[in-house]
Amino acid sequence: MKVTDINSRVNPQFQEKHQRSIYKSLEDKHTTIEDVDIDDPLNAKMILNMGPQHPATHGVLRLVLQLRGETIEKTKLDIGYLHRGVEKIAENKTYQEFMPYTDRMDYLSPYSNNVALCLAVEKIASVEVPDRAQYIRMIGCELARMSSHLLWLGTMVMDAGAISFFIWTFREREKIYDIMDQIAGHRFTVSHSRIGGVANDLTSDASAIIKEFITKFPQELKDWHGLLDRNRIFIDRNENVGVLETDKALDIGATGPVLRASGFAVDQRIITPYSKYDEVEFEVPTRLEGDNLARYFVRMEEMKESIRIIQQCLDKMPKGPIRSNNAKHAYPSKDEVYYSMEGMIHDFMMTDTGICPPAGAECYHAVESPKGELGYYIQSDGTGHPWRIKINTPSFRNLQVLENILDGEMVADTVVVIGGVDPVMGEADK
Amino acid sequence: MAKNLEKPVLNALSSNQKNERKLNFLERIYLPEIFKGLWYTFKQMFQPRFTMNYPEEKWTPPAIFRGRPVLVEDHGKERCVACGLCARACPPLAISMQASETEDEKERFPDFFEINMLRCIYCGYCEEVCPEEAIVMSKDYDIVFESREDAVYDKERLLVPKEDLEERLEYLKTYKNTQFGNFWDFQEENNIHSVRDRDTDWNTGLSLVDMIKTQDKNDAAPASKTWK
Repeated sequence: MKVTDINSRVNPQFQEKHQRSIYKSLEDKHTTIEDVDIDDPLNAKMILNMGPQHPATHGVLRLVLQLRGETIEKTKLDIGYLHRGVEKIAENKTYQEFMPYTDRMDYLSPYSNNVALCLAVEKIASVEVPDRAQYIRMIGCELARMSSHLLWLGTMVMDAGAISFFIWTFREREKIYDIMDQIAGHRFTVSHSRIGGVANDLTSDASAIIKEFITKFPQELKDWHGLLDRNRIFIDRNENVGVLETDKALDIGATGPVLRASGFAVDQRIITPYSKYDEVEFEVPTRLEGDNLARYFVRMEEMKESIRIIQQCLDKMPKGPIRSNNAKHAYPSKDEVYYSMEGMIHDFMMTDTGICPPAGAECYHAVESPKGELGYYIQSDGTGHPWRIKINTPSFRNLQVLENILDGEMVADTVVVIGGVDPVMGEADK
Repeated sequence: MAKNLEKPVLNALSSNQKNERKLNFLERIYLPEIFKGLWYTFKQMFQPRFTMNYPEEKWTPPAIFRGRPVLVEDHGKERCVACGLCARACPPLAISMQASETEDEKERFPDFFEINMLRCIYCGYCEEVCPEEAIVMSKDYDIVFESREDAVYDKERLLVPKEDLEERLEYLKTYKNTQFGNFWDFQEENNIHSVRDRDTDWNTGLSLVDMIKTQDKNDAAPASKTWK
């Protein structure tokens, strides 16, 4: 039987044109059509639709798999189920107003997204940020990285079959949420970073709770290493599964831990140090194998490095202001607003007009979010609204990898490979 | 600029990198690993309970928490002067109001003031831009409605006496109002029209706290036993 005319056998009820083109592109994908013995069930071919409502696809990702027996012959991904038009919304908002929307893109690490937008706007409008604010941002970003990696660890190990592990990583993640609550005022949608600084200073509760977390967390990490590193089932399920070869990794557009597991130590914190990352010491863990197990080791070691960075930030954090004192760049302090006319005018101007980068200016700024390179490209027409914002999201790039590394795997490994690549659909679909 | 894009490199941080894919005989038969996993799971039973029986037990948020936005009621009336800045700053456009004139020194007041709680995303921008400290974030977090109309909160439901918001106002004074540049010596008389400063017993005046001293104290806070 040739699987050549999928379209004649399906009867899509919803968005027919789109569905048919997905099946068509699956049919066309690097295919060598051969005749297969139809009476042998092990050779039977089958089109399997997985998702968008499948719990193991981590969101609303849809995979169309062509199976031959239990082997995946080829895969097509269908994304866009969570598309909200964030880039278009940005064109109708001031930069400050747009900031809460970034929380809802990579919702596993909202802090990194806030910082990424603010750094891009600060770059295009040449805003100076006080040192203390930069250190607070770094602490927030590294906590967000750990929070995101903890969710990856829990769900990936659960995909591989260990259910109770999920509860333990989520307990630690809950602690990070408590910290975010003390830093920013919310557990999930933090909206803490501001253009020109951060919203508020670290309270005594916040610094106490961060210090407690970074002293206790390495022990948990060690316990988990002890549970998983030498576990035969875990290694069997992950070794040589979803291999991204080193020589293909860059061409295919991989980023973040997926790329580093294939051997390239590409990390925006090292390549283009932003904030104060050039003043702290940390290593970028890499592996050469490029399989799921390598991604596991890379992410676990990244969490350890995050602890190191936070420790150094707490030691090095200077005293001083937490927001730019230039009224054309950031909000004035509330004391100025309450007791001086200029302050009040600046408050109104910042809200209504916002920060205005020079007309015709454009810039791209990328940060290393937990998933990889997260970049904002901004074009300005001189008003307080961006003329165009383009967001380069790591999950979108890594989904490209996923489509290619799934070919040739077993169908049971699909969920483990998705877990290892760790896409967030809020970010991929924007 | 690019430090290592040319050739792939192995940079393992664990000391056991060479053997991380090779299992010895004991590990291959898997039995010890089973007991290791069981032992870890068993140990978890004696950990202090981390969860909360939510509807019976309620979480008390810290002062920094951004809950439902409320209007500050000062001596029986709102501080709000209906300038419309919160409505302008609101990213999801949840706030609407209509200004009207009053005999009082503050001259303006909101005829109606509505927040659509279905739209509110609790970002706290209304509080951040308000020039009168008239709208602040409260500690309410479990907000339920029976209908869509019910979700539009009017002035009556939004007003909360400032005495009930003391903790939040204190927090704002310490962490959000302070100047972060030059310390100017403002004249409090500059703002005689503001309801916020009429009450002399209630210490809402200028908050020129010594920022550095607060930061010194906060940064040196020792690790606390939050999670046991």
